Amino acid sequence: MPYSVNISVEAPIENQIHEITYDGTEIYQPPLSLSESLSKYAQKIDFSKTSEVEVKKEFSETTEDNKLEADSKETFQSNLWPWDTVRNKLRSALQEVCVLADVLAIAKDKRYMVLDPVQQEPLETKSMAQIYARKKALSGAANVLLTGAERLKTSQTEAARNRTVPDFHIELLRLRQNWRLKKVSNTIIGDLSYRTAGSKYIQTGTFEVSKTEEDEKPATPPSSPSPLSTGPVVPKTNTALKVSIPSELKGVAYIEVLCRKDQDDLCSANINLLGNGHTTTHPDMHWQQKLEAAQNVLFCKELFNQLAKEAVQLQAPIPHMVVGNQIMATVLPGIQLIIGLRHSTNVEKKPANSGKTEHDHVLEHSLHQLLREVHHKNTHHPFPHPATGPLGPSKKRMCAGPMAADRYELLEMTKTETLLEQIIKQAQHFFMRMRTEYVLDTIAKEVKDPLISSHWNTLNSPTQSCVKINISTHGYDALCRTPLVIHVGEKTLKCICRDGKVMYMSYEPQELRDLVFCHINQHQILAVQALAKTMGWQSLANSNHLGTGAVEPLGNASSCLLASPTGDRIIAVRCEPQSGVQVSVAHSPRTDFFPSRLVTERKWEHLGGQFRDVRLEKMEGRNFLHKMELLMASLTSNS
Amino acid sequence: MSGQRSLPHSKEALLKLYRTRLKDDVKSMLENFEEIVKLAKGEHDTQLSRMTQCEQDTYEMHVRAANIVRAGESLMKLVSDIKQYLILNDFPSVNEAITQNSKLFRTKQSECDQKLMSLRDDIAADLYDLEEEYYNSINK
Repeated sequence: MPYSVNISVEAPIENQIHEITYDGTEIYQPPLSLSESLSKYAQKIDFSKTSEVEVKKEFSETTEDNKLEADSKETFQSNLWPWDTVRNKLRSALQEVCVLADVLAIAKDKRYMVLDPVQQEPLETKSMAQIYARKKALSGAANVLLTGAERLKTSQTEAARNRTVPDFHIELLRLRQNWRLKKVSNTIIGDLSYRTAGSKYIQTGTFEVSKTEEDEKPATPPSSPSPLSTGPVVPKTNTALKVSIPSELKGVAYIEVLCRKDQDDLCSANINLLGNGHTTTHPDMHWQQKLEAAQNVLFCKELFNQLAKEAVQLQAPIPHMVVGNQIMATVLPGIQLIIGLRHSTNVEKKPANSGKTEHDHVLEHSLHQLLREVHHKNTHHPFPHPATGPLGPSKKRMCAGPMAADRYELLEMTKTETLLEQIIKQAQHFFMRMRTEYVLDTIAKEVKDPLISSHWNTLNSPTQSCVKINISTHGYDALCRTPLVIHVGEKTLKCICRDGKVMYMSYEPQELRDLVFCHINQHQILAVQALAKTMGWQSLANSNHLGTGAVEPLGNASSCLLASPTGDRIIAVRCEPQSGVQVSVAHSPRTDFFPSRLVTERKWEHLGGQFRDVRLEKMEGRNFLHKMELLMASLTSNS
Repeated sequence: MSGQRSLPHSKEALLKLYRTRLKDDVKSMLENFEEIVKLAKGEHDTQLSRMTQCEQDTYEMHVRAANIVRAGESLMKLVSDIKQYLILNDFPSVNEAITQNSKLFRTKQSECDQKLMSLRDDIAADLYDLEEEYYNSINK
């Protein structure tokens, strides 16, 4: 301690400097007055820290305090602001003290209030009661737990026991395996559009998957959900899964294809991808069927949309009409193809013209196929040959460079057929085929003598088919037969004749008819000649297109001349498409010869005599050739 | 799994959420049970009277028991949610299903094609005979 230095800490005597003038003199603040310094120190007092003890002390000296307070109030009233907190505290203290004084006064009176001593020891309760109470509480809690556990257990066993009602998750798994699903926040959204299969249709096919409410479930045993079977399933199926489909995809849709000739239905086909037209929208249909129906609706809509778009864009000689849900296109003169979209959401309503569907569903299938093909093309691009090449151009165009294709070829490559064009072509072909069939059948019915048999080729395409016609005579098949091949195209017929000639015909059935009749005549003449050869007769002349005789309305008459082995008899045959066959016979020389002045020698009789008509219809024989054979035989034997 | 790493953030967050839900529920069960046991001990000094305290304890026990049940049910819900998530995001199994389906349909298609072909051949042969017969007969 002796080494320590004393440091005295004291406030500077000087007052605070208020201002320093330019000449360096300092102007001091005047010192605080007594009251000012008091208030300054009083402000520093923190009254909130005053302990209860002090308060109690204050209470004990109530009267003194009161006095003091009154004094202080009077004293510092003038200087309100610095003393404000102090005053407030003191006032509240005064209030409390006043209240306490009042209470004490009332308690002292003992008329209105009695003060009891506070019981220091807690009420003695029996410990057994407490245990019972606790036990009760525990059992209550256990009860809650047990009921909760029971509920969980029953819900589990219920699901396990009721195997009839498939579990939601199993159903969901099945659904997931067959449809695209994703979770968006709290809902499961599915997609039934064909977009992943290459469709570019704008309409979305989203549906929502939700759990079936417990009370909605019917109690009947369900059929197991088989996602692959599209056959008739019991409509009342229990499923734990509910599928909600947007309203525009509900119901049943199909595309109706009608071929109309002068307002008269020739044929109609109903497209319904689900097969039969009796698919109705049952409210509790199995989801698989429901989704398939909706997908079908979407597909039909896309198909129709595509067709309508093409119908408007196509520049046809007779413009296609699109009215409402119908497209009208002219296939052949007088024949119209009507494609309509039928969409019925009504459960009761059946397709209107289900009775008319006696025709084959070729057009139905074709339309279906065409759109699928478009889808397929959209997703399956040909691979670029150098792997770095652009994706998209066809294989043919890839080769265009190396093959030095010219402009025309390149232009040809860019041409693509629209769906409508293709379906119109198919319809045209359909009609051509029908007409050809009809013509051939009627000719076969009309013409009995040479047999006309036609065989349709099994191998054909939607726009091309082939029929082989055989003209032959019954019993003389081996002798002569005239084969004809007709290729039926979209608007033209191509006929390949016996001699290799190729004829092109238009869609008018009369042309084919004429051609076949012409060939029938030729066949008769050729057959007679072939027969004559076997009989030892000689064919003198033969003309397919005879210039003589009456003018035929179609084609020319054909004829031939035959001479007997000895040469004394001549048969002339003339075939006309219209009037049939004429046969004439001439004898030379006559069996009896009498020399006259004009014809002096017998040899002149060999020049030939007069032809006499043979009445074929009176002759015996099954058919023309048979009659001719008999005729020749008789003429031969007579000589 | 390397596939797990490439999961988008939302999926990862969802999986994390499932994990936290599981932990929370289990924790809630445990805590509530512990609290019940603590209450059963009944050693706490309060200013309340014994009867009131008993009543409060009973009530608290009930609530905590209910909490345990709720946590259990929440776990069940979690299980079902995870199942749903798995079903919707299990792409390998979906791919498998698709391959299987396409295989099935392909075999079906070839089967149908075969049947149709044989049917066509039969019909073609029969048609030829019938045509022959028809066109060679008198009655047409």
